[in-house]
Amino acid sequence: MAAWSPKTTTPVLTARIPCWPHGDPKNRRIVSYDEYVRTGGYVALRKAVETMTPEQVTEEVKKSVLRGRGGAGFPTGVKWTFLPKPDANGDGGQRYLAINADESEPATFKDRLLCDFDPHLVLEGIALCCYACRIQTAYFYIRGEYHHQAAVMERAIQEAYQNGVFGKQGLLRGTRTKNRDQAWAVDCYVHRGAGAYICGEETALLESIEGKRGWPRNKPPFPAIKGLFGRPTIINNVETLAHLPFIIAQGAEAFMKQGTESSIQGAPPSYGTKLMGVSGHVNRPGVFECDLGIPLRTLIESKDYCGGMRRGKKFKGAIAGGISMGVLGPDQMDAEMDFDIGRKYNVLGLGTACPTVFDEDTDMVAVARNIARFFKHESCGQCTPCREGSGWLYQLMVKIEEGRARSKDLDLALEIATSMGTMPGTTICGLADGNNWAIRTILNKYPDEFQARVRRTFVPVGISVGAGAR
Amino acid sequence: MAWITKPSATMKVPKRAEPYLGAELKDRLTREILPRYEHKQGALIPVLHAVQHVWGWLPWQALEEVASFLELTPAQVWDTASFYEEFWLQPKGAHVIAVCRSVACEICDHKQITDACRAKLGIEPGETTDDGKFTLVELECLGLCEGAPACLVDERMHLSATPESITRAIDDLRDKPGHGHAAPH
Ligand SMILES: Cc1cc2nc3c(=O)[nH]c(=O)nc-3n(C[C@H](O)[C@H](O)[C@H](O)COP(=O)(O)O)c2cc1C
Ligand code: SF4
Repeated sequence: MAAWSPKTTTPVLTARIPCWPHGDPKNRRIVSYDEYVRTGGYVALRKAVETMTPEQVTEEVKKSVLRGRGGAGFPTGVKWTFLPKPDANGDGGQRYLAINADESEPATFKDRLLCDFDPHLVLEGIALCCYACRIQTAYFYIRGEYHHQAAVMERAIQEAYQNGVFGKQGLLRGTRTKNRDQAWAVDCYVHRGAGAYICGEETALLESIEGKRGWPRNKPPFPAIKGLFGRPTIINNVETLAHLPFIIAQGAEAFMKQGTESSIQGAPPSYGTKLMGVSGHVNRPGVFECDLGIPLRTLIESKDYCGGMRRGKKFKGAIAGGISMGVLGPDQMDAEMDFDIGRKYNVLGLGTACPTVFDEDTDMVAVARNIARFFKHESCGQCTPCREGSGWLYQLMVKIEEGRARSKDLDLALEIATSMGTMPGTTICGLADGNNWAIRTILNKYPDEFQARVRRTFVPVGISVGAGAR
Repeated sequence: MAWITKPSATMKVPKRAEPYLGAELKDRLTREILPRYEHKQGALIPVLHAVQHVWGWLPWQALEEVASFLELTPAQVWDTASFYEEFWLQPKGAHVIAVCRSVACEICDHKQITDACRAKLGIEPGETTDDGKFTLVELECLGLCEGAPACLVDERMHLSATPESITRAIDDLRDKPGHGHAAPH
């Protein structure tokens, strides 16, 4: 196989944040408003507000086929068009943007990098989205554990207000917008979560902003129609929004030169770069900005990125991108990290593109038990299959790990894992699905390890098989 | 985390004369936080954060005061406060050591960090030392995976922890004041 080489040689999202191979993470500092502007910041916002109508901005994003970076990979421009059409004066009524910086998916830590060091890149993306979708109020929902990052964002928002980006006077000190003879004003607030993974699910996030427990809502109605406080609402991931300044400043074509086409006929492409946070048994864990489509092997072995497996050990597997997506097996190291990964390598999808790498010494039963505990702990408890199934799976995994299980327990585990949350519609949100994929892929890709830990169930001839058979 | 039962029938609520939600705090919240949300319940989580920031935890009386401040029922406030893991409904130690136990940290041996804390403090995860100085908890993924095993020590990131580094961090904190949430940025 020909060696993979990056298409994008100058970083886009991490232009101001040193990341290997372009810079040493030791030199990272918080980029202030002044420095951001000095290095070409808020140029895209000015271009959009002064020369483009909101529809043109949406159109450009749609053309770029920017896909959501929060896990589902839904095309952002298309999502925006689900908002109700504004009236003839361009007034769409009160609507909201909720920025998803909950980032609680285990093994995911990419959004933190942006909030930590280049907050204005995110804020410019927010302003662009608000302009394109005629949104007046944006809530930056950041997970509770990100104390420092919330403080950085808070300070950056203050700077943005002081410099007239946000505030009553309108974007960019009240610059008149292209299509209407008046300015477009946006307010932006930080809303801190308080330690609940489920609040990353978009409707749970809305409930949480409304001051309620984070219980996902039944859909429809979809948030674009009836979201926060019952108003039309857009929810986007931090990284998704951080791509907008580049797309607007350089145009959709420039974005489409990055990343990769789909290798599956008729499937949507994976354009653009992606932040990939690699953790686990590699020499240099961290966040790297790569073109979508980079083979996992390159990401792990290249000196530019992770610099090989820790202590020269062999690769045993990797979480595809946040544990909900499932696990890539020992023979899937060449998987291309793009949005097709799910269909080609039997995982749920690319997710957050943050792989955790396992070396040959990793106990996959312990990994499965850890993951099962996570989902049991984080299930919100609304839907029976998820609430009960996640608890059973955890118990079974503990039993297997402790050597108390029989082979029929394995069958039971696989049956639960395969049936819970299978779409469409046995549960309200995708958490059960994530649980299902995570446990099922481990059981299926490492059957020997599990078989070795269980005693066989003998079924004597003539005796009925069922719950009573021991 | 989702289900914490409340012994309503037998529950005795300790009350004190001085309110937890003082006039000054109320004033600040009314000016800065309430206008951000379309209705008052929206401000609930920021208000709970603010109260906890002052007192280190959320006593029942404080929840009742928050309820009347936001024109909600105490049940609504309890419902939300009990759902989120970061709201402390019991007092916690002056300093909180939170060790990550999710998958990336587990495979990088988070156990030796928890064990070092156990040995150093003489408590199990979920417990507080007798002198009220330290609370040890194990949390799910903190999003610090590149520095696995990772911890949060009083809201500060502690990356690539070793038994020695976490023991030292505990020693450094021992004589520092604070109620866990006091660390200003
Ligand atoms: C259980 C669950 C947890 C989720 N957690 C997050 C999260 O922490 N951060 C995030 O950006 N998206 C998360 N998502 C995905 C969001 O629901 C949503 O798809 C995403 O924020 C949309 O933004 P995007 O289109 O920009 O990707 C989660 C989804 C589910 C089902
Ligand atoms: S699937 Fe699980 S987490 Fe999602 S709403 Fe149902 S019970 Fe809650």
